[in-house]
Amino acid sequence: MNRPLRLFIDIGSWLITVAITLIGLAALTFFIGRVLPIDPVLSIVGEKATPEVYQKVYLELGLDKPIWQQFIEYLGKLLRGDFGTSFSTSRPVLTDLLNFFPATLELSTIGLIIGVVLGVPMGVASAYWHEKWPDHLLRVVGLVGYSVPVFWLGLVGLFVFYYLLGWVSGPGQLDVFFVGVVDRITGSILIDSAIAGEWEIFFNAISHMILPALLLGYYSLAYISRMTRSVMLDQLSREYVLTARLKGASEFRAVAGHALRNAAIPLVTVIALSYGGLLEGSVLIETIFSWPGIGNYIYSSLFAADMNAVLGGTLLVGVVFILLNMLSDVLYRALDPRSREFAK
Amino acid sequence: MRLFKTLMAVAVGAVMTASGAIAETPKNTLVIADAIDDIITLDPAEVSEVGGVLASQQIYQPLVSFDPADPTKITGVLAESWTVSEDGKTFTFKMNPNAKFASGNPVTAADAEYSIRRVILIDSRISFIFAQFGLTKENVEAKVKALDASTLQFEVDQKYAPSFVLYVLSSFTGGIVDSAIVKQHEGKLADGGNDYGNAWLKSENSAGSGPYVLTKWDPKVSILLSRNENYWGTAPGVDRVFLQHMPESATQRLALEKGDIDIANKLGPDDIGAVSANPDVQILEGVSSTMYYFGLNTRNAALSNPKVVEAIKYGVDYQGIADTIGKGTIKVHQTMIPDGFLGGGINYNPYSLDIEKAKALIAESGVATPIKLATVVWNVPPYPDYAQAVQATLSQIGVDLDLQVVDGGPWLDRYRSHDLDIWFGLWGPDYPDPHSNAKAFGNHDATDPDGTKGNLADRFGWDSGKVSELVNQAVQEQDVEKRKALYDEAQRLHTDTSPFVFMFQDSRKVAMRKNVKGVVLGITFSDDRYGAVTKE
Repeated sequence: MNRPLRLFIDIGSWLITVAITLIGLAALTFFIGRVLPIDPVLSIVGEKATPEVYQKVYLELGLDKPIWQQFIEYLGKLLRGDFGTSFSTSRPVLTDLLNFFPATLELSTIGLIIGVVLGVPMGVASAYWHEKWPDHLLRVVGLVGYSVPVFWLGLVGLFVFYYLLGWVSGPGQLDVFFVGVVDRITGSILIDSAIAGEWEIFFNAISHMILPALLLGYYSLAYISRMTRSVMLDQLSREYVLTARLKGASEFRAVAGHALRNAAIPLVTVIALSYGGLLEGSVLIETIFSWPGIGNYIYSSLFAADMNAVLGGTLLVGVVFILLNMLSDVLYRALDPRSREFAK
Repeated sequence: MRLFKTLMAVAVGAVMTASGAIAETPKNTLVIADAIDDIITLDPAEVSEVGGVLASQQIYQPLVSFDPADPTKITGVLAESWTVSEDGKTFTFKMNPNAKFASGNPVTAADAEYSIRRVILIDSRISFIFAQFGLTKENVEAKVKALDASTLQFEVDQKYAPSFVLYVLSSFTGGIVDSAIVKQHEGKLADGGNDYGNAWLKSENSAGSGPYVLTKWDPKVSILLSRNENYWGTAPGVDRVFLQHMPESATQRLALEKGDIDIANKLGPDDIGAVSANPDVQILEGVSSTMYYFGLNTRNAALSNPKVVEAIKYGVDYQGIADTIGKGTIKVHQTMIPDGFLGGGINYNPYSLDIEKAKALIAESGVATPIKLATVVWNVPPYPDYAQAVQATLSQIGVDLDLQVVDGGPWLDRYRSHDLDIWFGLWGPDYPDPHSNAKAFGNHDATDPDGTKGNLADRFGWDSGKVSELVNQAVQEQDVEKRKALYDEAQRLHTDTSPFVFMFQDSRKVAMRKNVKGVVLGITFSDDRYGAVTKE
């Protein structure tokens, strides 16, 4: 088989997999949404509306049609890029997603960077000093991050660093002075304020963001450091590390240059999945910090039985995971010479 | 290493800037923390969520209003005066010549006509509030009409107490819109019909005569209102009102104490207690018309026995729950009309925890104990706490509640389908008239034995008999004082005989910074007024 054809088939089968995944996700969300004991009509019209009003909305939502037909119609609209309208915001769902997702993206990205920058070295140190005091200490730190409820850490964090010490700003994305001052371009306040050259707003945004981002970072750090530790333990016990040491490589070189390099391959997947988890939006963090993110959007829409919004949000999260998987595949190939061999 | 140093510099810079952050709200802006993710519309003809009503109250004004301290005093707002015809069916309003909209247009009878008609015409979720006067899409043009620029005629289908009609018109549903502006923005519905400007007013625009205008509603995030520069009353002391979505009570508390918000609207009892010690914070107390009760389904054989019902009423530790769980956010209230409404404030609370008496009543009833009762309660605080406290004391008199703590949807479903024994809930009136409560809890409709149209008495299987007669007489009584007396009688009888155990009325406590003056707490759930606010 020649290479262009093969590439074409590869991409084609990948696209089919993606499409099936997304349709499956949409179907699952759609049907779960329909069997939930929440009446979408009631949440629109209220419980005291007259039967006529109820019936009107019932028909508008197309709920009289068989459920499979409703689903096909929804998919049809989706293909035309129409996610429907959210009744709770009276806006197209796509507009809502573009509105809420950047806030989550911004926060999660910073959180992930914190998680990786601190978590990987912690895991390496833990593995290197296996069962010695640095390992015990770092494992406790990780365990706390992983097991203490994040809303508790959030409230305590706010109390200490915002209320008592005043080092960071409080809930919300910006101080009230600055709300609406900068034009919305990307939806990321840091980027938008930097584009506008409003550095005061930029730093205000950072001081609002620092605490929730640190908490998200701590949470992902806990996971990443534990995974790094176990992967590194495995790698450090391999013979090639011994060989490297025997050949006179420095400890740093043996650990960072050889073992970590090999450990990086599975870690890419771990990190990508943590990132995906953060990008779903943390409902608790978003609630405590009044952060207008995607997690709260999906959550409150679900409770209002605003199914278009829930479906749109779920699909977005699905796409995020697919993209991250793709990214980690690409990184895999870049990091692992064997997979490049196979590709040839 | 260079990169690391740069990163450190940025981080340190950020922390330094942050620590210098000014923890104070702008002088010209009133910042209110609230939970606003329930809002789905700001159009006065369909708004009914707590947050939505709160925002639209600042933007729109009704024809008439009343004084919560003395509900018998009804005053004109956009209407200057009114008369009622001999037969009690025709109300004629003279419009206030001084009133004008934010656009500068004068408020005329044509605006009132258009605003009231559109509530019926757009078939909204709250159309029933006006539809109860016999208004339909077909007859509304004949029944509600402007005779000339300053005279509005409003016809109802039968003789009602004038105060009833006026209270209903005073509700948020009766907010008057600027018809000249809204008509320009009428759109088409999916079925080709007129939307009467609903899409335009719903989320992005306002056309009212109140102290503020809508600047921006960012759903589930914030609402920004700005001062109405053409306001015909006394201009508010702040330029802007900013409602920020801050759902968590503990977060609101920290932000309030820190001075990052001026008013915290969603503080729980614990946090209210905590902030009241702060010298920079003041607590405004008011009444809320929300009531907590539980209903006994008399379709259950045991509950159809009046002695058992009475025993249960003596088996609740009202004061204990109010003190230990409510912590000052509720007060014991055992009648169907809240204090602050016409007919409210009679202070008739005959029941208190009396285990011996309750046991004796159960014994008298002849019903075998333990009586097992399926009970449904919403899984949101404080309801489960109330229900558990009631469960604990009732178990001592041989009444066992099988408590099912459920989500909001199933909770309301079980209540509508009336297939349970006890339902714990709350009641907030739809409009500030006692009839909203009296009709629900006291009216008996023989043609609708399951209460599908909203008669709770029927939903719980109770033929309210004399109470029903009294409340229906009251809603037609032309004299306010006589009407009040009828409600007095109806309520006492209701409390003594009905299968409803009214426990508490909300006492509102709103915490705000000391420098905020002029907030007027309303009486319905989201009736607070910010029009007279100043910040010192």
